[in-house]
Amino acid sequence: MIHYFLNRLLQTIPVLFGVIVITFVLMYIIPGDPVVSMVGERYSEETIQHLREEMHLDDPLIVQFFRYVGNVVRGNFGNSFITGEPVAKMIMEKFPNTMMLAVGAMFFAILIGLTAGILTSIRPGSFIDRGIMILALAGISAPVFWVGLILILVVGVMLRWLPPTGFGGIEYLILPALTLGLRSAAYLARLTRATMLDVMSQDYIRTARSKKLTEWKVYLQHAFPNTLIPVITVIGTDFGSYLSGAVLTESIFGWPGIGRLALEAIMKRDFPVIQGTVLFMAIMFVLMNVLVDMLYGVVDPRIRLERSGK
Amino acid sequence: MFGPFRILLLSLLLFGCVKEIDYETLTTAYSADIRGFDPAFATDIRTGKIISLVYDNLVRFDNEMNLVPALAQQWTVDLTGRKYTFIIRNNAHFHDGSQLTVLDIAKSFQRVLDPSTASPQTWLLDRIAGAKDFMNGKENFLRGLKISNDSTLVIELDNPFAPFIQYLAMPATAIINIKDSKSLSQAPSGSGPWKLEKWERDGEIILSKNENYWDKPPKAERMRIRILSEVMTQSAEFEAGSLDILEVPQSEMDYWNKYKYNKLDVDELNIWYVGMNCSRPPFNDVRLRRAMNYAIDREKIIYILLNNAATLANGPIPPQLLNEISEPRYEYNPNRAIRLLQEAGFDKGLHSELFVAGGSGMFHVLEALQSDWEKVGIIIDIKRSDWNVFKTSVREGKPDLYYLDWFADYPDGENFLYPLFHSKESMTKRNRFYDPEIDAIIEKIQQLTNQSERQQLLETANKMVADAAPWVFLWHSKTTYLTQKWISEFQPSSIFNANRYMKITKHPR
Repeated sequence: MIHYFLNRLLQTIPVLFGVIVITFVLMYIIPGDPVVSMVGERYSEETIQHLREEMHLDDPLIVQFFRYVGNVVRGNFGNSFITGEPVAKMIMEKFPNTMMLAVGAMFFAILIGLTAGILTSIRPGSFIDRGIMILALAGISAPVFWVGLILILVVGVMLRWLPPTGFGGIEYLILPALTLGLRSAAYLARLTRATMLDVMSQDYIRTARSKKLTEWKVYLQHAFPNTLIPVITVIGTDFGSYLSGAVLTESIFGWPGIGRLALEAIMKRDFPVIQGTVLFMAIMFVLMNVLVDMLYGVVDPRIRLERSGK
Repeated sequence: MFGPFRILLLSLLLFGCVKEIDYETLTTAYSADIRGFDPAFATDIRTGKIISLVYDNLVRFDNEMNLVPALAQQWTVDLTGRKYTFIIRNNAHFHDGSQLTVLDIAKSFQRVLDPSTASPQTWLLDRIAGAKDFMNGKENFLRGLKISNDSTLVIELDNPFAPFIQYLAMPATAIINIKDSKSLSQAPSGSGPWKLEKWERDGEIILSKNENYWDKPPKAERMRIRILSEVMTQSAEFEAGSLDILEVPQSEMDYWNKYKYNKLDVDELNIWYVGMNCSRPPFNDVRLRRAMNYAIDREKIIYILLNNAATLANGPIPPQLLNEISEPRYEYNPNRAIRLLQEAGFDKGLHSELFVAGGSGMFHVLEALQSDWEKVGIIIDIKRSDWNVFKTSVREGKPDLYYLDWFADYPDGENFLYPLFHSKESMTKRNRFYDPEIDAIIEKIQQLTNQSERQQLLETANKMVADAAPWVFLWHSKTTYLTQKWISEFQPSSIFNANRYMKITKHPR
């Protein structure tokens, strides 16, 4: 298992190197100039030239690239062009906020998605099933931006149950987490339902029922665990993307996470912050995928045996 | 599954989450975060506003745009207009309790000019005698800065320069505690009426009042500035009572007029315009540029699309900065526009691109401009990009036409002339306009200290620029603020760093 884990980790290195190369090249292809974001309106040409030299922007591209890679290998993501702060510090300041939002979103996604999936699979074609599936379809189709604004207006402004936006205690987390998690919840509901219906037609479920187990035991102990592989895949990849920041949700709710940090950096052409945040997002996403792979083995021992060739 | 009891419990839990109004904390919002707390890097309005709260300058602007004493109790300018003598107050202290001295002031100015600081704001102080040599490393001190005694600072300039005293009220010339200048970007070290309590980047800035301020401290205990990038989010927070002050976009005025919030309109010192590249065809022809102006029905746009929250621009300088009200220069006259186009050889019309930056809020205005020009045979395509790409393009002189605004750095007509129309600035970073007569008059305005003569020249220059039509002069916009019923003494100003929230209070009503 450890050998497999290390092997998977080693496989991520070329992926991350690819991310570094692509991000670096893209930044120099896209139009715009980071110095323009720094100088205001009354700059002189000497100021522009001085700043370019300070930021090594006039060095050959290849020199800039290898300097950057060398720094990253040493754990140095550089300093922001705009604020002068170390990029690693900026990311680490935002990461707990992003993690909080990601965990909250996943909590709602799992709670709503799995509950709805199991409930609808009990009586397929019933009123509850159809109602929930229509809601799930709406949940998948509705843009995050729209869902967020509706929640702000209804829950925050009209009912005044929760603060509309902001950052702080658990009361501030509920609306953005719900907004972010709803789409995953809808997808999980549909996936869980489909997988459960498939599992429920298997022979071992008939066997469980013939042993006169209660219907809930059949569902939760025998059927549900067998739906977990696809569910874990969705949860893992979605969680990975949440950890990479949720630009729209963070913007609507004024949530200071990594997504907004990256967006601001892109708007200002703050190259070190763009490179740092994109690499960080890639690391999070890749790590979540490795973790999901590991969980497959935990949930279904057959997968471990297949990998070890037994 | 959810019985009435559980629903009641959940509702109570949720109701309990909404906080009561905090009458000690004034809450407002910015659409993006500030750059930091280092005055030397204050290049944008938001950062400038915050710098003016936590730092002091030698002089500052009051709400009526007058220059008033701040750290300098008084100042004099000698007859040559080159030598400024400041008497510094001795009761000002930095937030760490240490006394603010004349040396701090001299060192603060020197730091902005020091090449190792790499400040983009050196233009504010580089007219001090010896500044160029100091910046080039030829001298290791600023010749033009002299500390006469513990309370007197003398600044000598290379040449007379009338706006200099106003430069000293700008954020980048704020006075820092020089002993504590290592991490200014994150932690301010100033003497202003507000102290930094907390800064959650992209989240909020919390300031608390400086009880030991040399002047009367602010009446409110605390200020919370939330960073809310979406207009809708700001509106929702205001409606929920979580924001005390809201800057309302003109496009949403109809919605807010239904409610009985306190409303304040401020005539901003700004201008909205379409810049035309004057250095190459087709817009190097003044007849075409004038035709572009005559073709636009600005009054209609202001009335219908801007909810009357703007005044017509008859030249670059806003009316508040002129003694006389300028005559309308380009009234709506499509026939005259067509005649001018014919004279300029554009009988068959013209096709060009208008570069714009930013969000969708202005697109209804751009479409109106497009439509008016089309009526006289000028077909304009709108080319949209993000702010950085747009600014880079303008700097490189790429666009034939671009839509932009200019907000005053300081309340002086000169600020609407030199940075925009003097060839030194225009030819390198704006619309490549060059008129030696206009250059000469702007330079004279910069040197003159006689106010009445200077004011006359400002009016003349304003007319000359309007005649040369390097821009389509659109309007000077107003900003509308709404405040909650529990807010009193909110006094917004036309100049961005004048309002320091000193008298504003929050009381239950």
